[in-house]
Amino acid sequence: MAIEMIMPKVDMDQETGTVVEWTKTDGQQVKEGEIILVIETDKIAIDVEAPGTGILNGISAHPGDVIPIGTVIAYILEEGEEIPVVKAVTPPPVAEVMQATAEPAGDVSATPVAKKMAQVHGVDLSKVAPSGSGGKVTKDDVQSAISPPASVGGGEVIATPSARRTARISGVNLSLVQGSGPGGRIQAIDVENFQPGSNLPAASVVQSGESIPLIGMRRTIAERLTDSYQSIPHIQFTARVDMTNFIKARKDYNDLALERRDDKVSVTAMLVKLVAMVIADHPMINSSLVDDSIILHQDINIGVAVALEKGLIVPVVKNANQKGISKIALETTDLVKRAREEALVGADVRGGTFTITNLGPFGVEQFNAIINPPEAGILAIGATTQEVIALDEGTIAVRPIMRFTLSADHRIIDGAVAARFIADLKTTFENPILMNY
Amino acid sequence: MTLSKENATDYLLQMYQVRAFEEQAEKSYMAGKIHGTMHLSIGQEASAIGSISTLEPTDFIIGHHRGHGLCIAKGADLNLMMAEFYGKENGYCRGRGGSMHIADVAGGNLGANGVVGGGIPMAVGIGIGLKMKGENQVLLAFFGDGAASTGAFHESMILAVLYQVPVVFICENNQYAMSFAANDWTTSKKIAAHGEIYGMASSESNDGNDLMAVKKSVQKAVDLARSGGGPSLIVNDTYRWRGHSKSDRNRYRTPEEIEEWKRKDPILKFRDYCKKEKLISEKEADQIKEQGYADIEAARVFAEASPDPKVETLEEGVYAP
Amino acid sequence: MREITYLEAVREAMTQEMERDSRVFLIGEDIGEYGGAFQVTYGMLEKFGHDRILDTPITELGLTGAAVGAALIGMRPIAEIMFMDFTTLASEQLVNQAAKLRFMFGGQSTVPMVLRTPAGSGTGAAEHHSQSFENWFVHVPGLKVVMPTSPYDVKGLLISSIRDDNPVVFIEHKLLYKTKGEVPEEMYEIPLGKADIKRAGKDLTIIATGIMVQKSLAAAEELAKEGIDIEIVDPRTLRPLDTETIVGSVKKTGKVLIVHEAVKTGGFGGELAGVIAESEAFGYLEAPIIRLAGKEVPIPYNRDLEQASVPQIADIVEKARELATLKV
Repeated sequence: MAIEMIMPKVDMDQETGTVVEWTKTDGQQVKEGEIILVIETDKIAIDVEAPGTGILNGISAHPGDVIPIGTVIAYILEEGEEIPVVKAVTPPPVAEVMQATAEPAGDVSATPVAKKMAQVHGVDLSKVAPSGSGGKVTKDDVQSAISPPASVGGGEVIATPSARRTARISGVNLSLVQGSGPGGRIQAIDVENFQPGSNLPAASVVQSGESIPLIGMRRTIAERLTDSYQSIPHIQFTARVDMTNFIKARKDYNDLALERRDDKVSVTAMLVKLVAMVIADHPMINSSLVDDSIILHQDINIGVAVALEKGLIVPVVKNANQKGISKIALETTDLVKRAREEALVGADVRGGTFTITNLGPFGVEQFNAIINPPEAGILAIGATTQEVIALDEGTIAVRPIMRFTLSADHRIIDGAVAARFIADLKTTFENPILMNY
Repeated sequence: MTLSKENATDYLLQMYQVRAFEEQAEKSYMAGKIHGTMHLSIGQEASAIGSISTLEPTDFIIGHHRGHGLCIAKGADLNLMMAEFYGKENGYCRGRGGSMHIADVAGGNLGANGVVGGGIPMAVGIGIGLKMKGENQVLLAFFGDGAASTGAFHESMILAVLYQVPVVFICENNQYAMSFAANDWTTSKKIAAHGEIYGMASSESNDGNDLMAVKKSVQKAVDLARSGGGPSLIVNDTYRWRGHSKSDRNRYRTPEEIEEWKRKDPILKFRDYCKKEKLISEKEADQIKEQGYADIEAARVFAEASPDPKVETLEEGVYAP
Repeated sequence: MREITYLEAVREAMTQEMERDSRVFLIGEDIGEYGGAFQVTYGMLEKFGHDRILDTPITELGLTGAAVGAALIGMRPIAEIMFMDFTTLASEQLVNQAAKLRFMFGGQSTVPMVLRTPAGSGTGAAEHHSQSFENWFVHVPGLKVVMPTSPYDVKGLLISSIRDDNPVVFIEHKLLYKTKGEVPEEMYEIPLGKADIKRAGKDLTIIATGIMVQKSLAAAEELAKEGIDIEIVDPRTLRPLDTETIVGSVKKTGKVLIVHEAVKTGGFGGELAGVIAESEAFGYLEAPIIRLAGKEVPIPYNRDLEQASVPQIADIVEKARELATLKV
């Protein structure tokens, strides 16, 4: 009976063997146990013995062939025996070839990404304005066609699992919620307290008993003011000025502006210019304390405090000392307008070196402002009212009088330094022509 | 010591069953039907059967990774053994153990082991337990020359003598650990001498291919253990024809050496003995051989038809309830 | 109820169980006349004799294997390895044999043994006598791992462990031996795999093991003065773990601090954090899961360094406060 000779398994994880050499050939006599074949696995040569005694025949694997283990590669036959006929082995079924889904045929010229996006979002490419070269619709074009999701502060929402869960359950859009956790992380309580329908907390009319969460701008202001108040030793200096000449100067500027069809010159614009010019002579006022050094700023960037419904913001007029009043007027008008529209950008509020805050229009006589770090001082402007004053000659007159108060960082600004600055300010307020002297 | 014809027949049959089992294991492996590896004991039949022939059915053995022969000698059901070898659900260990970890606890075989020397410390504890139970049971603890160098072996020798456990420690010195030659650091005589130094009741080394010599030596030790005489260390000097495992290329020994030991075939030796003692004729011996091979063939058929374990049952049986 | 020490509770559990079940015996180094390295077995040799109190020479591997073998044949041994540091020597028999025999043999065998071992630092014993390896054994299917933290718990858990048909690694923190507590005189079992809420609270969950339970309780008292109400969960059994109690607590508080003495990297805290993150509790988390654990060092000799190597009460207070006030 024919004895099968198979490709043997000799290693734990061996799946094939490579035929190297037959030392006996078809038709030759072999003895059981005699080495008749050399195979290779993992670069190691193995001798294979004949499994029986007889005539070797039907060799079907040749040098170089890689054969799966267990496959019959030869037979040992008795005298006169025929090689067994083996049924043809049907080749294993070929794995189905995955057909790539055909790209939707489009007349519209678009990038593959754009096409995919449009397909996913159901956007009609032919209606999208192309901005790519050769009139190709790009990814960005399709993105614009899809309404962007509203998100506060640049998109990514950081929230705890609990907050997300709460938001899911109560149907709150997380991207609208302000986070009170570390780094602005949204906690469950923030979601619970969220008032749907408004991006900003608190209506303009505060009902008594209402609770306004200290989040967002409110929180920022609270934190900064606390920090400033607690860490900077404030000294305050108040001076009274006769605003007669200031008012006249403003009128003159406005007549000029009218003639030239320029914007009106506001009190704010005059204040910014005046203060900037005086600061130019008092560099210590235009400084910051950074670690162990007092940095004297080259530029004079005057911040103007603007009251909003929900708080305070301070847009900055850069290099105010170098700009004409008309230009400053243009800028301040724009800044205040945009501040009230909440349309200020980062650049508008950064880089200030000194701040002016004016509560005059509200009738506040005098007040002490808190310094806006990292600045060294802040000037609080009070109301201008007609008051009776005593003149040098001993007579009495009625003049428009305004009180301003400088709050200064006593670590940087000594009393004398502040006093000199105040004196200069007073003199300039009372003789605005000195602004340009 | 004289044998009855019945016993002689049993022993010869078992030897052939072991031989046939190992050869079949090899064939099945080379045909790609066995997963993993295996450690064949062809050439060591006398050590296994000679030693275990001294036991009562209520006695125990604990073994090592080259344990197919020990298993058969202890009276394992060949079908269940082969099924376990094939990794099937109705194997002794539900296919979880495989070649290296076959156990037949109900039959007194407390298991093979994948760690060299892993069973020796346990043997001490089994001895302690048997002593506490007080039913005069004995344990044969098998290991190889490879284990004789381990800390586990030496600690166990000390503890076994300290607690005078009813255990016969049997070292099957087949001349090589994996590839490290026993003769490079010891000999069967030296290993046996350790037994003496540790204080064993009997410390002997035997021609491990001479079934009768092994049987005599182990019987003495078993009798000592059973009567409260304490543990012994017996060393059976033998040889494995095949490599350590299936990955072994036999680079560490010569074909001449293998041939030399093949000439000392324990089965042929025992056949000669039986012929000389007029217990089994040549013809009867051939019939016994045929029987042995037939039993293994039946086991193979049984195993190949047996079901595989279901994957859903994977996590069962890790803990006792 | 009378108060006894944790150590006395261990001794009592073993003594009472040995009186009840003749299959129970002890094996270990110096457990006989010497009474055990920590005096746990003091007096037991007189009571039970050499046949049941097996003193051994220095053979951690051998004695542990002997316990496995004795358990295999139907006895219920309690092996002692006097410092958890030396379980390294015994791990072959624990991990490769005891844990696996039942599974490997398809259910034919059982290994009803207990391996008791004192662990932990704080005694100035330094690198080789102060370690905590519980997580190594938690990692092995087939073993059970128990870490009792009070005299009441240790007696009930040890009795249960002895009666359990599986190999149990029973870890006793050295510094707990002298702690006192109310312990019933009669025998009782505390089921393995059941955690204990040592302190109920609502602001923060601390999951602590070993001596850290004690330290966490002290920290909780301090933080209560600041209005922070801490819940302390003591798993008691690390494998199998009572995930239900843990998940329930984290769902309640939303914040969890895990405290253990063993080194942080690869420690049980990682396992707990994973369990929590994969569970229902994830959706209730208000902050990251924080682990406070041993520093990445072997335990040093110098006392201050030794103290600094593992969490102390002040560390727990600080971390818990940080977490409770959402600074993290």
